[in-house]
Amino acid sequence: MDIFNPAFWIFIAILAGIYTILSLGLYVQFSLAGLPNFGHVAFMAVASYTMAILVVRYSVSLPVASALGVAAAIGLGLVMGIPSLRLRADYLAIATVAGGEIVRYLAMNFPEFTGGPLGSIGLQGPGQIASYNAEWQSLLDRIAAALSAIVGAAATRDLAMAMLVWSVAVLLLFLFWQLERSPWGRVLKAIREDETAVTAVGKNVFAFKLQALVLGAALGAVAGLLLAWQIGVFSPDDYQPTLTFYAYLILILGGMNRLWAIPVGAVAFSLLYSGTRFLNFFPLSLIDSGSRAFLRLFLVGLLLVLFMALRPQGMLGNRRELLLEK
Amino acid sequence: MSPPLLEVHGVSKHFGGVAAVSDAAFSVAERSITALIGPNGAGKTTMFNLISGFLRPEGGTIRFADRRIDGLRGDVIARAGLVRAFQTARVLTRMSVLDNMLLAAKHQPGERLGMGWIAPRRVAEREREIRERAHEVLDLVRLRPLAGDYAGTLSGGQRKLLELGRALMVEPRMILLDEPMAGVAPVLAEQLLDHIRQLRERQGVTVFVIEHDMDVVMSISERVIVMDEGRVIADGSPEAIQNDERVIEAYLGRSSGSDADPGRAAGHRP
Repeated sequence: MDIFNPAFWIFIAILAGIYTILSLGLYVQFSLAGLPNFGHVAFMAVASYTMAILVVRYSVSLPVASALGVAAAIGLGLVMGIPSLRLRADYLAIATVAGGEIVRYLAMNFPEFTGGPLGSIGLQGPGQIASYNAEWQSLLDRIAAALSAIVGAAATRDLAMAMLVWSVAVLLLFLFWQLERSPWGRVLKAIREDETAVTAVGKNVFAFKLQALVLGAALGAVAGLLLAWQIGVFSPDDYQPTLTFYAYLILILGGMNRLWAIPVGAVAFSLLYSGTRFLNFFPLSLIDSGSRAFLRLFLVGLLLVLFMALRPQGMLGNRRELLLEK
Repeated sequence: MSPPLLEVHGVSKHFGGVAAVSDAAFSVAERSITALIGPNGAGKTTMFNLISGFLRPEGGTIRFADRRIDGLRGDVIARAGLVRAFQTARVLTRMSVLDNMLLAAKHQPGERLGMGWIAPRRVAEREREIRERAHEVLDLVRLRPLAGDYAGTLSGGQRKLLELGRALMVEPRMILLDEPMAGVAPVLAEQLLDHIRQLRERQGVTVFVIEHDMDVVMSISERVIVMDEGRVIADGSPEAIQNDERVIEAYLGRSSGSDADPGRAAGHRP
């Protein structure tokens, strides 16, 4: 695939759209309410697994299974939040790191239920290839068919997916933009600044934090479902903790406390992440392609360090606000 | 004298082995300005934390407006009309001065998730009301010109004024001020004193204030409660307190006592 291939750009668009939704969840929790969630990926994993297991093993219809997937992620949010949100922020950080890893290890070690290391493909046990994706593929086909009336042969499943993902992403961004500007958003931002002061003016801090955590979990779940449908097969390895940090990187790249910077950060990140395949010129061409793939991890890390050092407000953030002390 | 608005009875609090407050009992009359004084580490701030629900008392009762409030959460107590300010003003630095004020207003339907979509008119109307009220209060504390600035750009004294204004947005019946004059420039301090007096005169708010500056205490309060080593040792008019043996002893030290223990003061501060 080369840089002029539209398929590459559609792929980038899908990735960026899904990451936008994932990062929006983290934005609600971290940027708005100041909740350090280091296990965001767990919400994706729980939603994907719940959806896939229900579809494959219990023949539940896709919409119902997906809704239950989101509900399961919300449940996980409650389980992690209720004991830890009354305590200092550090405890939520610990609970979420642990929660994220527990989910992944459970998926890995209960093969009879989750497919184990094989992932979703092993959901019906050994020797059978399981798929949860048929309904989704046919939906994309229908959208693609409708699109072909407009764009002709360019109407692929991936194009349909890209449009769908971005429709969802833009709608969610808009809804949460409104929430951020509402009195509800004002309370959350105040909690981020100083929850003691917020308690002192008569707001139930715990209830607001729980709402933020749950909403973020639901957004993570939606991103997880979209990713699962896009990749068609998933395994525990797809839910490494690094994914959570990609979402943080997107927030930092775009600008920490700017909602509309999220899609910008997501596109920049996706380009960076997928664009490393074009680093095949001299002298990088001396390295074999497998090793070059690791370059992106170096690049991601380097960029994070550079941004924190030189431009902590990100591409679109407000430096003045950021530099005010708490 | 008006009936008591706040009644504290037999309240204690230990931190480890240290009795920060032990068996404290006193009351604060409605529409009074009452001062709480005492040497460093006497347990004054702990007392405030107990009253305002930021700490749980180990025993005894605290009644506010004829309702038991000991053991209630801090936000519930604030909504009941007993609002506190902090020793170091806790303003929300990365929010505007106006947003600091708006946050504190009560009965905001827009604080309910999604109400902005269900009842947009009601949310907008309340927002207009509290914006108007916030501007009035900002006028009162003379921060109106700074309404749009980040609270983090305010000076220490301005932050105290903002915190006072923010507390007023909660429509308190009683306000707890922890050293409102500490770290405030003299000009602002004078202003702040004025505001505190006016609070009571114009709005009928009961003021309960921790203060170190004895001149301030004598000039604004009509009643003084004195704590030492976690106990309430005196309670009376400023004149009576000034001449009270136990109070003088507490401030100037006994011939032999635990006063000299340097760890004590630190241990008492929550």
